[in-house]
Amino acid sequence: MDKFVALTVDGLTLGSVYALIALGYSLVYGVLKLLNFAHGDVFMVGSYIGFGMLNALGGATDLAVPLWSALILITLAAMAGCALLGVVIERFAYRPLRDAPRIAPLISALGVSFFLAYSMQLLFGAQYRDYNLFAVPGNPLFLKGFHIGNVNVSLVRIIIVSSAFALMVVLWYLVNRTRTGKAMRATSFDREAAAMMGIDIDRVIVFTFVLGSALAGAAGVLFAIRVPTQVSLGFIAGLKGFTAAVIGGIGSVPGAMIGGLILGFAESYSAGYIDAIHIGGFRIWPEASGTRWTDLVIFVLLIAFMIFRPQGLLGRPDIKKV
Amino acid sequence: MRRFKFILPFSAAALALAVVAAASARPERTASTAASTKISCTAPMKIGFATPVTGGAGFLGTEQVSWAKYAVKTLAPRLGLKVTLVVGDTPVEQGPAVAQSVAQKFIADPRVVGIIGPSTSGAVAASSAAYFKAGLAHISPSATRTSLTQGGQKEATPAFFRVVPGDYIQGPSDASYMVTKLKVKKVVVMDFQEPYSQGLADAVERTLKAKNVSVTRLSAPNTTTDYSSYVTRVPGDADIVFFPTQKPGDAQTFARQLVEQGKKAKVFGGDGSNNPAQFNTPGAYVSNFAPDITGIPADKALIAGWKKDNPGKAVGSFGPPTYGAVQVLLNAVKLACTQGKGSLPNRRAVVRNVKRVRVANWILGGTFRWSTKSNDPLNAKFYIFQIQSNGSYKLVG
Repeated sequence: MDKFVALTVDGLTLGSVYALIALGYSLVYGVLKLLNFAHGDVFMVGSYIGFGMLNALGGATDLAVPLWSALILITLAAMAGCALLGVVIERFAYRPLRDAPRIAPLISALGVSFFLAYSMQLLFGAQYRDYNLFAVPGNPLFLKGFHIGNVNVSLVRIIIVSSAFALMVVLWYLVNRTRTGKAMRATSFDREAAAMMGIDIDRVIVFTFVLGSALAGAAGVLFAIRVPTQVSLGFIAGLKGFTAAVIGGIGSVPGAMIGGLILGFAESYSAGYIDAIHIGGFRIWPEASGTRWTDLVIFVLLIAFMIFRPQGLLGRPDIKKV
Repeated sequence: MRRFKFILPFSAAALALAVVAAASARPERTASTAASTKISCTAPMKIGFATPVTGGAGFLGTEQVSWAKYAVKTLAPRLGLKVTLVVGDTPVEQGPAVAQSVAQKFIADPRVVGIIGPSTSGAVAASSAAYFKAGLAHISPSATRTSLTQGGQKEATPAFFRVVPGDYIQGPSDASYMVTKLKVKKVVVMDFQEPYSQGLADAVERTLKAKNVSVTRLSAPNTTTDYSSYVTRVPGDADIVFFPTQKPGDAQTFARQLVEQGKKAKVFGGDGSNNPAQFNTPGAYVSNFAPDITGIPADKALIAGWKKDNPGKAVGSFGPPTYGAVQVLLNAVKLACTQGKGSLPNRRAVVRNVKRVRVANWILGGTFRWSTKSNDPLNAKFYIFQIQSNGSYKLVG
């Protein structure tokens, strides 16, 4: 039972971060029908901005402000920095290709992804960047928390999950209860009609990128407060965020949240439970038992959804007028 | 008109095929030409260095390159050689393909007379055949996988050499330390689904089981960054988690997550996790093929010279064997030049002379000699360090 609880907590922690990344994909796809493959690298840049801000505040062992303030400040800094980055990316890499065939902005997105990854490497090198919050005097983030049975649910995990959910609630409110959100939904439904109704499409698209990138920045910090960051992180994170968005239904905001959580649990439970597979007394995998099926499970899930439910859990089927 | 419609695409396809055939033929012709080219020993030569300078293991390559550059700068003139170092990046995350393309680049350059590296075992396995075919000696300062030079079906070729001991020494040595000094009863052994860690994990598991230690084997993809779910599988009463990663940051993450989840096990990393800047969790263990050379009096001047070229950088433990590897290669080139009376008849002349090299005042201490039975060093050993409360590494075994 302890193992199940521990893996559930792991899945929730991971899934919350994936959900934030997936939201960015879904937002942009919903409005622009564009898969922003640079999104994973925006997440990576966010983690670096958080690292820089933390060092500017004195570093984990010598903070100039209380720990809570530091965490809020670094998250806001990452969100602001990534929002600005999102605006720049949209303006120079996607806007000129808005009316081009769909493959053009897709290739541009891949180019931006590589540009970001290699620029960061050139600027900051290949080594890991560690927030080192483990070394905060007293280690409150990792040693304090509460217990479910024998499982320690540390403060850092509580912060990650609650922050991610808070951001998702804020996003839901923005999209569903504000004029700008209404404009976003109208644009995602029919861009031309929205323009004809007087909606400033350019502004809506920029706002979408600001939102999506800010969420990626926040996700970057929430990830890096537990695990060191490095420039190659963006690719895998982006791939998993994309998978989560597809599972939930690309273009659907609640779908992205659910998809992220499903992915987090799938990764956690497969790492925790799947060993060598036996059929009729024969072990069909030649290696010793081990937790090696995680990525396989995740991408089999992606393929299964693409085949059997391409619109995802909460996405809209793509209906074409004939 | 109808005939013309078919001629144009057909011609284009034929032309494309011809271009592809010519492009794929070129490396072979270039490789065989480069391998047999006579090289004057007074003309500028190159040494290729295949190492990861980017990615999770980029710290290793960056450190090694700094020592390789210093070695070329100081040793080549003393031997009367004009040598330039050329670096080819082989990030571990990109697998064997990148090692092969770097190899092709070096092979095609007739000025390249020898190779340092590849630094990682997977890259050696992927590219040794190509280097051997091209007659290029490749001397690794850090590829430790046993099967490269030992066993019935060696993964590396006779042109591969290494100046550090293999995992067939590291694995049993680490396992023996755990049993005799740490008195372990239960150990978790991890691998990362790539050649280096799997070989080392297999060797440690075998030795531990032979000494009646209970072993749980886990395996994580090489791209894992969050190990929480794997930590969940570590038994609460496990003494050690053997963690042979090539990314010290991952060892740090795992060690912290063990503490977070209230597990008592300590992390025991292999040589790939040796990096005090990135892996410094107190109480953990690390094994490595090189001692701390700052404790070797004969290296004092050498270290001072390197530090002058690399201000603010720590000496490390991956760099000094690289200096040694360059020293061996340059001496082999010199011997081949002497035999050839001022010129290298071909690259294979360097391969033939590598095992003739013996180095007194070896940078890692003592005298460097080759084993007569393999292309490994004679009497090499692994060193075990424990991480102290201030993050420094203390030699304990």
